[in-house]
Amino acid sequence: MSIEVLDGGALTSVQDPLGRRAWRHLGVPVGGAADPWSARLANRLAGNPDGAALLEMTLTGASLQFQRAATVSLAGGLEATVDGLPFPVESARRIRAGAVIRLTDGPGARGYLAVSGGIDVPTVLGSRSTELRTGFGGHEGRALRRGDRLVVGPAKGPAMRRSDARGTPAGPIRVVPGPGADDRLASIVGRAFTVGASADRVGVRLEDSVGGGGEVDSMGLPLGAVQLPPDGRPIVMLADRPVTGGYRVTAVVIGADIGRVAQLRPGDAVEFASASIGEARTAWRRAEQELAALEPLAEREGDELGWTGSHS
Amino acid sequence: MIQPFGEHALLVELEGPDAARSLAASLERDPVDGVEAAIPGLGSVLVELTPPAGDRAGELGAQLADRVASLTLHEGGGRVRTIPVVYGGAHGPDLDRTAAVLGISADELVARHAATELQVLFCGFAPGFAYLGELPQGLRVPRLDTPRTRTPSGSVAVAGPMSGIYPAELPGGWPVIGRTPLLLFDARRDPPAYLAPGDTVRWEPIDHDGWSDRPRTADDW
Repeated sequence: MSIEVLDGGALTSVQDPLGRRAWRHLGVPVGGAADPWSARLANRLAGNPDGAALLEMTLTGASLQFQRAATVSLAGGLEATVDGLPFPVESARRIRAGAVIRLTDGPGARGYLAVSGGIDVPTVLGSRSTELRTGFGGHEGRALRRGDRLVVGPAKGPAMRRSDARGTPAGPIRVVPGPGADDRLASIVGRAFTVGASADRVGVRLEDSVGGGGEVDSMGLPLGAVQLPPDGRPIVMLADRPVTGGYRVTAVVIGADIGRVAQLRPGDAVEFASASIGEARTAWRRAEQELAALEPLAEREGDELGWTGSHS
Repeated sequence: MIQPFGEHALLVELEGPDAARSLAASLERDPVDGVEAAIPGLGSVLVELTPPAGDRAGELGAQLADRVASLTLHEGGGRVRTIPVVYGGAHGPDLDRTAAVLGISADELVARHAATELQVLFCGFAPGFAYLGELPQGLRVPRLDTPRTRTPSGSVAVAGPMSGIYPAELPGGWPVIGRTPLLLFDARRDPPAYLAPGDTVRWEPIDHDGWSDRPRTADDW
């Protein structure tokens, strides 16, 4: 089974939700899906294991044609159509051979398209994710473009559905203090920031300076570290962040909210709120429970599974 | 000092790079259950916990404190890696400027840099990029005012107390004084990087004509 890329969109790459974790001591970034929770949701909806490779699309999405019928799922911040008909986000659908799926802009910056069986690219250094900056992993170490063909692996499990509609996550992004940063945490909490134009997979740069930035001894950077460079404009570090960084870290975005940061688009407004480590862990467990609460897409819902999205 | 770094990690602050990489190496050799990764920095180790282990962060912190207390420093210890370098010219576009900043001749800068044995303190920035230190006072210069958007693969650069080698074509703000023909990172190899924390780096100056004759891959990788 293969998928042909008709249009690569702004930035579409093969990623997996877990990334490349074992080689960080040699400078290899974790990478993987920028919004790991949405990517895991897409995989589970398609009946894939959490670590299966899928497509991450940015802002405008891509157009893909499926050579054969396939079970496909969508999660994250973009919208999609199949042969021109809407494809409901956070669901899995069976699509017919020859169908064209097109991702378009939506409420967030990134959409995840999973195919039952996963995108079959070689595992490089323990992951199928694309390392875009130095060019390895994924599909030929680069973003997808027109004419690329992707191979899909054998399906592993049944497609799933969400029984509860997810409420749109709202409210400020929750942060815990960075190392030795209690005094500086106050500077980013309770005020509005604007997302800068250079938000990417490395990090989301905010436009407003809070001062208090500077250089420190380089240290390992966890996902969600909020760096304050000398210009005082916070940067929230995402999947492609360098392994170590030498700017002050004022806070860390909690795991349950990092996907929301990855969904911010240039120009969006964002606020932070202070949380305790205990609250962060509770929120993490809730997010895990939401993923665990999916149900098999049962036979009796055959109309859903048999939905082809074809024009009438 | 050990403190939380987000809900799934601890930051262990240590005396310096020798202690940091020794702790990371110790956790690699003799893993602690619940520790997913230990990433050394200049004077700290980021210890990432498997998410359920975050609930045991206090207990794990105590185990790490014990480990730190009984740490044996691995000074030296690593492999010796010899890096051939063409200094100056097209391969070292900032050599003359850097020498001027230091108030010495370009030849003197080459002689000093080539004679300085450095250690891989930690890795970061990009796959296979090793932070090499520490440079003596007489070789320390600030970063470029305007970073380059592209620095060629193999470029040998200096900034502050560190030297480094760009393992791929990357943007960069460090003055470039030379270039090595050696490949420093190859995702198809295991391990994928030629340099690792603890290794000792020696420089072997080669002339411009020697560049193309040199093998791209070191025979001891």
